[in-house]
Amino acid sequence: MALDRSVSRRRLLQLAGGATVATALGGALAACGGSSGTSSSGTLKVIGVGDQEPGLRKVLDSYKSAHSGFDFNLSFAPADQVQTALRTQLGGGNAPDVHVVYPGSGSAMSMVQLSKAGLLADLSSQSWTQKVPDGFKGAFQNDGKTYIFSPGSSMLGAIYNKKAFATAGVEPPTTWSELLAVCEKLKKKGIVPIALGAQTPWITQLIPYALVPGTVYAKTPDFDDKMSAGQASFADSGWVDAMNKYLELQKKGYFNDNPNGTTYEQATSMVGTGKAAMAVQVSAVLSAFRAAAPSPDDLSMFPFPATDVAADNWIPAGVVVGIAVSAKSKKSDQAKSFLEYCGQQDNLNAWAEAVSCVPLYGDAKVDAALTSFLPLLKANKAVPFMDQRWPNAEVQPTHFAVVQQLLGGKTTVQDALKKLDDAYKKSA
Amino acid sequence: MTASAVLVRADEAKRTRRRGGIVPPWWFAVPAVLVYAVVVLYPSIAGAGSAFTDWSGVGSARTFVGAANFKQLVHDDQALGALRNTLLLTVAIVVIQNAIGLLLALGVHTRIRSRMILRMVFFAPVVVSPVMVSFLWKFVYNPAPDSGLNAALGAVGLGGLRQDWLGNPSLALWSVAFTVIWQCAGYSMVIFLAGLEGVPAELHESAMVDGAGTVARFRHITWPLLAPAVTINVMLSTVGGLTLFTQIIAMTNGGPGYATDTLSTVLYKQAFVYGKFGYSTAIALVLAIFVAAVTFLQIGYLRSRETTV
Repeated sequence: MALDRSVSRRRLLQLAGGATVATALGGALAACGGSSGTSSSGTLKVIGVGDQEPGLRKVLDSYKSAHSGFDFNLSFAPADQVQTALRTQLGGGNAPDVHVVYPGSGSAMSMVQLSKAGLLADLSSQSWTQKVPDGFKGAFQNDGKTYIFSPGSSMLGAIYNKKAFATAGVEPPTTWSELLAVCEKLKKKGIVPIALGAQTPWITQLIPYALVPGTVYAKTPDFDDKMSAGQASFADSGWVDAMNKYLELQKKGYFNDNPNGTTYEQATSMVGTGKAAMAVQVSAVLSAFRAAAPSPDDLSMFPFPATDVAADNWIPAGVVVGIAVSAKSKKSDQAKSFLEYCGQQDNLNAWAEAVSCVPLYGDAKVDAALTSFLPLLKANKAVPFMDQRWPNAEVQPTHFAVVQQLLGGKTTVQDALKKLDDAYKKSA
Repeated sequence: MTASAVLVRADEAKRTRRRGGIVPPWWFAVPAVLVYAVVVLYPSIAGAGSAFTDWSGVGSARTFVGAANFKQLVHDDQALGALRNTLLLTVAIVVIQNAIGLLLALGVHTRIRSRMILRMVFFAPVVVSPVMVSFLWKFVYNPAPDSGLNAALGAVGLGGLRQDWLGNPSLALWSVAFTVIWQCAGYSMVIFLAGLEGVPAELHESAMVDGAGTVARFRHITWPLLAPAVTINVMLSTVGGLTLFTQIIAMTNGGPGYATDTLSTVLYKQAFVYGKFGYSTAIALVLAIFVAAVTFLQIGYLRSRETTV
C-alpha cells in the first residue's frame, strides 16, 4: 500500500514538464504580444536604428504625403541590437526592403561587409550619388559602386550644458590643459565634469575617437593607410597618448562615479539636467540630450581638445548611419525611388537637421550647436570615425571591451592596444 | 429475468473494454518524428557542418577550413575566459539555487495557512520573461547611491556596502548569478515539493513513534526519498547554467570588458557581432558536447543514489 503513494521518476518528470510548458507558454504569449504584423502588399518595410528615427521618419512621412498609394511599415532597433535581429533576417533571406547600414567597413552590418555578400542593391545610377564628396566616398562605396544613402556627417565632440558651465564660470576649452582646468573648476562646484555611460558599449569608444584625431591624425593623416599596409599599429602610435588621457580624466575624478555601471540614458539625463556639465557624444544624439533638458537652448557643442596645440586639435566627423535597399527586395523600384527622394537637397537637409548633422552636400543651415566645428571641416581637419576604416567587425567590439576593462582597472593601456592590434590583423 | 438481463449487459461491457485495449501500431508516430527530423535534426546537423567553414552568416561564400575553428578556440583568450565564467556561474547557481529551492519547499510543505499563497509568490518569478527580470534587476543594481539596492542599503545604515553591482568587473558575475538564482529558485522549489509529496506519511509517523527528531527524519527519510527530485533539479540547473545567455546579454552584454562573458554570449557575438558564423558554430558544437557529457555523468552518478520505498 505504501508503494502506491511514492512518486516515480516518470511522474516527477511529468510534473516538471507541466511547469516547463507553463513557462514556455508564458514566454510564447509575451513574444506574440510583442511582434508586429508582416509587411502587407504595397507597403515598404523599413527598419532603422534608434538614432535615425527623427530624420528617417520625417522623410518617410514627407514621401508618403507626396506619393498617394505609398505606405510604409517602420520600426527601430537599439544600436547594440541591430546586428542581431536584422543580420539574422538578412542571412535568412527575410530582409526588409530598406534597412539601416553602417558606413564603411568596420562592423558586421557595415556597407562593405553586406555588399560583399551580395545583399545590397547598387545605387550608383541615382543622381545624388554624383554629389558625394571625395573624402566620404569610402563610407558609401565598395569597388566603386554606391550602396548606401546617408544624410551627412555627424560631429563628435562635447555636448555641454551651458548653465553648468556658467555656474562654474568657465568657457569651452580649446586645449587639453584648458580642458583639465575647466573640469577642475566644475568639480569644485559639485558638478560632474564629464558624464560617461560606459555600461552601454558604443559609448566607450567616443572619448578615444574624440582624442585620436589630435594625437594621431594631425601628425599622420594617412595613419589608416599605414595601418592597413602593416606599417603602423595602435600600440605604437598616438593611441597610447589618447588612452592615457582617458585614464587621466578618470583618475582625476572628472567622470561620474561608476562609469561602467552607468548607461547612456543615465548619462544623457545627467547632462540635460545639469548634474553633469558635458558628455563626449556624436551630434546625431543632440536631440536626445535636448529632450532631457528643461530647455533645448541649454545645450551646445564644442570640439573636445586632445592636445595643447590648438592647431593640432583635429575633429572626428563620421558619416552618420545610413540606409540601403535590400538586393532581394520585391519592391526594389519603390525603395530606390524613396532613396532618390532622400537625395533631393530639401529632403537631405530636413533629415540632416533632424539628426543635427552637417548635410552631405549643398549649402544648408546647420544646427547652431555645430558652428564651432565648421571651420575645422573646411580646413580639412576632420577624419572619419575610426571604425569606418577598420578592416573587420572585431576591432570595434574589442575596443568597447578593453575600454571597460581599463575603466574597471583590469588591464593596461599597452595590453589594451595590443588586443586591438591582434583584432585588426584577423581576417574579415 | 431482470437479473439475467443485467448480467448479459455487464458481459457485453467487458468485451467492449477488451476490444478498446488494442495497442496502436508504431507508424502512428511517423508524422511527429518527421516534423522533429525536419525542424530540429536537419538544421542541427547542417549547422554543425558550418563549424568546419569560415561562413560569415550572410551570403553564400563558405570555405572548408577543417579543424581550424577548433584550434582557434583552444587559443582564444576570450573564449577560455568565458569558459571559466560559465563554470563558476554554473557551480554557484546549481548549489545555491537548489539549496534555496529545497529550503523553500520544506518551508511551504507544512500546514501553515499561507502555504498556497507562499508557493505562488515564490514561483511567480519563474513565469516572468528572463529579459524583463533582467531589466528590472538592472534598475535594482543601479550604482547611483539613491537608487535600487544601494538606496535600500543606505536606508538601513549599511551605506558602506554600496557597490557598482554590474559595473565592477570583480562583482558583475556574481550579481548576474544572484538574479538568476532569484528567478529560478521557485522552479527548484516546485520540483522538490513534488518530491516531498511523494514521501509516505507513514514513514514519518513510525519514525516519530520511535522518537526520531526533525533533523533525523529529514536525514534518513526525506533526503533519501528526494533523490529523484535532486536528480532532476541538479540536471536542469546545470544545463541552464552552462547555457546561460539571456540574463547576461540583457544585464551586462558580457561586460564590463569580458568579465561576464559565457560560452553562450561568446558564440552569439562571434556569429552576429563579429560575423564569424563558422567559428561560432564550432563553439556551439563544443558547448553542446560538453553539456551532454556533463549531463550523462551527472545522471549516472545521481541515479545510483536513488532509492525506492
